[in-house]
Amino acid sequence: MSTTTSTNTSAGLAAFDRTTSIWGPITLALGLLISLAAALYAAFGSGVGITPVELVTAVVAVLATFGIIAIIEPISYFPILGRSAMYQAFLIGNIANKLLPAAVVAQANLGERPGTRRAELIAGSAIIGAVLIHITTLILLVGVLGTWLVGTLPAPLIATARAYILPAVFGAVVLQSVMAMRNRRVTIVAVIVAAVIVFVVVPLAPALTFYATALAVIITIAASWFTRSKTPPASAAVAPDEAATGDAAPAAQITEPTR
Amino acid sequence: MVLAAVDPSSTDITPLIQHPVLWALAAGVFAVVILQSVIYFKAIRKAAPAVGLTPAQVTSSVRSGAVAAVGPSLAVALVAISLLPLFGTPAVLTRIGLVGSAAFDVAAAGISAGTQGAQLGGPTYTQKIFALAFAAMTIGGLAWMLSALILTPILSKGDAKLRKVNPAVMAIVPTAALLGAFFTLAFSEVVKSPVHLVTMIASAAAMGVCILLAHRLRRPWLREWGLGIAILVALAAAYFMTAA
Repeated sequence: MSTTTSTNTSAGLAAFDRTTSIWGPITLALGLLISLAAALYAAFGSGVGITPVELVTAVVAVLATFGIIAIIEPISYFPILGRSAMYQAFLIGNIANKLLPAAVVAQANLGERPGTRRAELIAGSAIIGAVLIHITTLILLVGVLGTWLVGTLPAPLIATARAYILPAVFGAVVLQSVMAMRNRRVTIVAVIVAAVIVFVVVPLAPALTFYATALAVIITIAASWFTRSKTPPASAAVAPDEAATGDAAPAAQITEPTR
Repeated sequence: MVLAAVDPSSTDITPLIQHPVLWALAAGVFAVVILQSVIYFKAIRKAAPAVGLTPAQVTSSVRSGAVAAVGPSLAVALVAISLLPLFGTPAVLTRIGLVGSAAFDVAAAGISAGTQGAQLGGPTYTQKIFALAFAAMTIGGLAWMLSALILTPILSKGDAKLRKVNPAVMAIVPTAALLGAFFTLAFSEVVKSPVHLVTMIASAAAMGVCILLAHRLRRPWLREWGLGIAILVALAAAYFMTAA
């Protein structure tokens, strides 16, 4: 009897693994290709006259800043999400602030902890529920209501929203990242490096403007590494970057719903 | 006729940010997400008995996930609406709503505009700059998808090696990269004008209040809503400063 059960178990899971290991990558790759098509259309198909060199320059500047985070993030989410849910999470986005809490709440409701096969299926189900809500709110509130609302707002208001959205976003994001990371040493290093680059280096060498952010990232990583505390950190939690992919503190977001 | 309205140097970006082709591709991304969810739901329901999950438990997990996502989804919607004037509906729906995130995509857009010596939203924000920013933030975002595609099979096979990456590296590198990037981006905004400086301070202050109240009053949703609230407060401050 027990052998039959385990055979059924492995057969059932084998079918699941087969389906998700084929369709997970296919759907993620499909999302990737459609996004790429949109990017290439905007750059070359829409008639705005962007040259390949201009696009490559911009992409290199972006990747030099965020490329390393894009590689580290999947590694830090893998243990919580499991293989199949990785393909869901990186297609859907908003991982730390939405998908992880949803998965953890659903697992806690059924008394399951991350890491088991049962937990993986529960996480997958919870992510599907989260997607339903998320897509509905996006289409109704942003696509329909938001577009209408922005269309009715007076022009000066829209102009202000456009002109000052960057400081309005970065002020909050900087504070949020500092609070989420809880690493005083790296924070101090980052403030000093960023200040020297923006207030001293760029005014002296304006040619470096393009790569100021990337330069700051590399120097901050190096300086933080060499000034790191050699004793093992008390808060060993690997902080998956969430300011880049989500909007909130991962540790707090993950643990709060289960408390 | 819409195509005729495209003019690279025009600061009226509406024809391009609401371009039908971008709408169609945004719909495509949504369709892929729905397709994936349907395939996964079927596969999960089939495999559920094998791990001791009843159909009712699968349904209840979907429901828990949906309920847990209400707050975050509304919070994301608020941030997304505030970015509509800058990026337009299709770009916001796909980049901010799905796949990417507000912080990364706004940062990426700002960095790409900078490579042309232009600024987002200002008098130098032409159709061409929008197109370049959108293309660069989208291609930058592909790096996450690509690394998930490549790393997931590796991690699930012999993940021992990758997971044993020095924990100090995993703790310090992303933290340093993120803080270095956002402090630099923030300081670069500060030097643009006094209004930029005050807008940024207003944003950080509003976020600080949200985080503090979330902690003091034990209202975690306040932290979730922090970014949206901070953006509104900061933009209101900017509006009153420039209108005065």
